[in-house]
Amino acid sequence: MKKVVFQPKVRYRLHPGYIAWILHRVTGVLLGLYLFLHIWVIHHIAQGEESFNSVMAVVNSPFFHLLEIGLVGTVAYHAVNGLRVFFIDYGNLARRDLFRKATYVTFAVSIVLMVIGAIPMVKAVLFGH
Amino acid sequence: MLGKYQGSGRSGAFDWYFQRISGIALVIGLFAHFVVLHFLTDPPLTYAKVMARLSSPIWKTFDIAFLIFAVYHALNGFKMIIDDYVHAPTLRSLLDRNVVGGSHCFLCYGIFNHC
Repeated sequence: MKKVVFQPKVRYRLHPGYIAWILHRVTGVLLGLYLFLHIWVIHHIAQGEESFNSVMAVVNSPFFHLLEIGLVGTVAYHAVNGLRVFFIDYGNLARRDLFRKATYVTFAVSIVLMVIGAIPMVKAVLFGH
Repeated sequence: MLGKYQGSGRSGAFDWYFQRISGIALVIGLFAHFVVLHFLTDPPLTYAKVMARLSSPIWKTFDIAFLIFAVYHALNGFKMIIDDYVHAPTLRSLLDRNVVGGSHCFLCYGIFNHC
């Protein structure tokens, strides 16, 4: 019989830091999966010009450009929140009066970066290549 | 037994530390990667444009270093998730070893594309 040493907490309160952690984990998994896809797409460059340009033609469709906006947001959030984690470890962002503010700043900055990063994709969708 | 001495049985101190180092490297590298590819290169991206950049040894070094950091960071992230949720030592060790082995294959595959 399995001995229960302590009862795990059933639910954690959804404070900003916890939401930031969940998002970091989810975006991390998504980016890991994207990395596989990205290397598979780019590996066509080793197979010559025709192969690469044909796969790029698929990826250059408006549908993929819209997905790319989501990708930019995912990367931006993971990067900014990663920096926040770095400054929790090595800076002062774990301080009680700064922690919550830093988390909100993380959310805001990643939205701004996503909008800036979306510019080339929106241009590509609107004007084509 | 297996899990105590292999895979996640290591202290993980290096993994923790290098996740931060590679993270910082990726923030800088990804910013450059994004700006160069989406703001400085005229769309659409073609074989000729990518090859022109890859013919420079500096860019090739940047790309391979970037790839190593990205694969390490991603696969170490997967390993952390396994360690968080899989508690049976044998299965955990098996999964962790697959992640480590898989990341090496993946890295070779990625570097091969630069040759």
